[in-house]
Amino acid sequence: MENLIILVLAIPLISSLVIWFIGVNTKAVNTIHILASIAYSSAALALIYNVVGGERYFAFDENLFIDSLGGVFLSLIAVTGLLINIYSVKYMEWEVKGGHLTDRDLRVFYALSHLFIFTMTLSVLANNMAVMWAAVEATTLSSVFMVAVQKGKRSTESGWKYIVICSIGLAFALYATILLYGAGFSVIKDGHDAMLWTHLKENAKLINPDALKLIFVFALVGFGTKAGLAPTHTWLPDVHSEGPSPASAMLSAVLLKCAMLAIVRYYSIVGNSTVGFEFVQNLMVIVSLITIFIAALFIIKQHDIKRMFAYHSVEHIGIIAFGFGIGGPLGVFAGLFHSLTHSITKALAFCVSGNIIKIYGTRDMTKMGGLVKIAPVTAVLFGIAICSLVGIPLFAIFVSEFMAVKAAIFGGDYTAVVLFIIGLAIIFVGVFSHFNEVMFGEAKSKVDKAEIELSANIPLIILAAMIIVLGIFSIDSITTLFGNASKIVLSS
Amino acid sequence: MDLLSILSIAMILAALAVFGLRNYKLAVLTYGVQASILVLIFFTLASTHHIVELRSWAFIAILTKVIFVPFILLRLLKKVNIKSEVEPIAGFFVSPIIAIGFSLATAMSIYPIYLKFSLVQEHIPLIAAITVFMMGIFGFILRKSAIKQILAYCTFENGIHLTLALTAYNSPGIVDIGILTDAIFAVIIMSILATRFYKYFGSMDVSKASSLKG
Repeated sequence: MENLIILVLAIPLISSLVIWFIGVNTKAVNTIHILASIAYSSAALALIYNVVGGERYFAFDENLFIDSLGGVFLSLIAVTGLLINIYSVKYMEWEVKGGHLTDRDLRVFYALSHLFIFTMTLSVLANNMAVMWAAVEATTLSSVFMVAVQKGKRSTESGWKYIVICSIGLAFALYATILLYGAGFSVIKDGHDAMLWTHLKENAKLINPDALKLIFVFALVGFGTKAGLAPTHTWLPDVHSEGPSPASAMLSAVLLKCAMLAIVRYYSIVGNSTVGFEFVQNLMVIVSLITIFIAALFIIKQHDIKRMFAYHSVEHIGIIAFGFGIGGPLGVFAGLFHSLTHSITKALAFCVSGNIIKIYGTRDMTKMGGLVKIAPVTAVLFGIAICSLVGIPLFAIFVSEFMAVKAAIFGGDYTAVVLFIIGLAIIFVGVFSHFNEVMFGEAKSKVDKAEIELSANIPLIILAAMIIVLGIFSIDSITTLFGNASKIVLSS
Repeated sequence: MDLLSILSIAMILAALAVFGLRNYKLAVLTYGVQASILVLIFFTLASTHHIVELRSWAFIAILTKVIFVPFILLRLLKKVNIKSEVEPIAGFFVSPIIAIGFSLATAMSIYPIYLKFSLVQEHIPLIAAITVFMMGIFGFILRKSAIKQILAYCTFENGIHLTLALTAYNSPGIVDIGILTDAIFAVIIMSILATRFYKYFGSMDVSKASSLKG
């Protein structure tokens, strides 16, 4: 199993270097990009398959490991990441043909996207918390030029905001890392073991509770900034809206969750210590509700389709945090499952927004209209993404949102659940007014491109099918994996 | 007062100077002084507390923080050819006072928690570590200049490094290397973006970048 862990890290790292150094032969770059993505996902899925039942494997002197919790988040990179990477080939081809990017930009973009996958994978597989921090910081560094690949005022502004705000946030996260090591070492008395999540958790009850409270606040501020939790979410709408659609999709669908996993690791240690879960849950509920309401206010007034989806990312990170805030087996399961459902939904949403922008030549939804007549397949995919995003039954996100509500009601958190539902209702109304604007009526701008070719839409159709399947069926292996991941979070 | 405390106080003052100086070149050089003080603290701790690890940390810090980072920043200044900073939020005089006041207050209120588990049980250096970190954070919030924001990043990174040396010097070597590698890449990338920023906005004033709002 150690070899598989190494392979999962080696494939994206080597592919990144190969793409970077092979020159500007676009065809070769595309082929390597696709083959590397498939190889990576196959290896990652093989690894996940081995931890579905709650098994745990280590590598590199326990510095890396995979457990069911890591498996959940690795599955997002493996499945959603692959489909986004396949879509990106067509999308980037349009960008090059449209004169927005050069062949060299394309090569840089693909090389960075594999490096980005490497850093995200490392953050998920890290048992050493300093390695996890370094990997999360490296996700920013590797993705900043994916976002700012187009040169210009707007992309420079978004790139700057991204690196500056995330670096401040992650400084707090680093502080949390160092403090947890210091506090853990005073108990564990071994420099190597005091850096490892597994050992820290086993000894959580012995670690100074005051230190742990401070550490959790720092970790929540730090990794919360990267995850997109309010009030430090301000980088997210700019960055997600300015990058190419596949980059936005990868950031929203996968990256935010990697930062969330870091919070969950701290949540688990502090919750299982003498501090108890109540402290971490209360903080998470407060932060999640603030996040959802801020997102709701901005979604209503949004006319830029990508900014609207970006604020949806903020909202859904709030919903994931709400699940952990409610806590208990059902709440934690809801939080984890929402990470998956939002990941596939948001990947579809951003990729389909790429199609829509290509059709209308604008991101302004007030200038769109009549999509259902112009491009029926894209319209249906857009419809599925929106229906899932606002939590309509039979679509994936409804399942995880319903679980969160159920967990809150069973736990007696009535005020929190009422506020949660009000927040979602505001978003529901706001989104459907935008939805109508795009889908029906007459096109308000000159449209000279019709339906997108099927080859571009295939990965999106798979994502849409997954949204519906997860919305209707309960798949045993997924339930087992997520159930075991919840147990890891909650048990000492 | 012992040497360690004097150096710690000097580091706070250097952080304040980096924060407050209007002239960019002077601010970058003062940052070099701040990093040198950090190196001296590492050497002092290595001899007074017999911490062998900190000697190698000190040598790595000389290469990265005293030489490499100022070199990158001076090169950036040469490229964009601007000399002094735009008026920061809350003004040139008030913003350093706000920063140092709040940073010291934060440090005083949370350092007793650090003392419970810190490997080096020294009050003033611990206070200095938190203060320098917070000065960096305030630098980010209160200064509008992209160059000053990079310096703020480097400042809080020094605060974190000092905290690591005091509370967890025995952490595996990979930690120190990982953190420094990330920091160096961050400074390089920020410098590239700052150059690009100057090219498109004709200024280092990040508040001028306001096309992405709402």
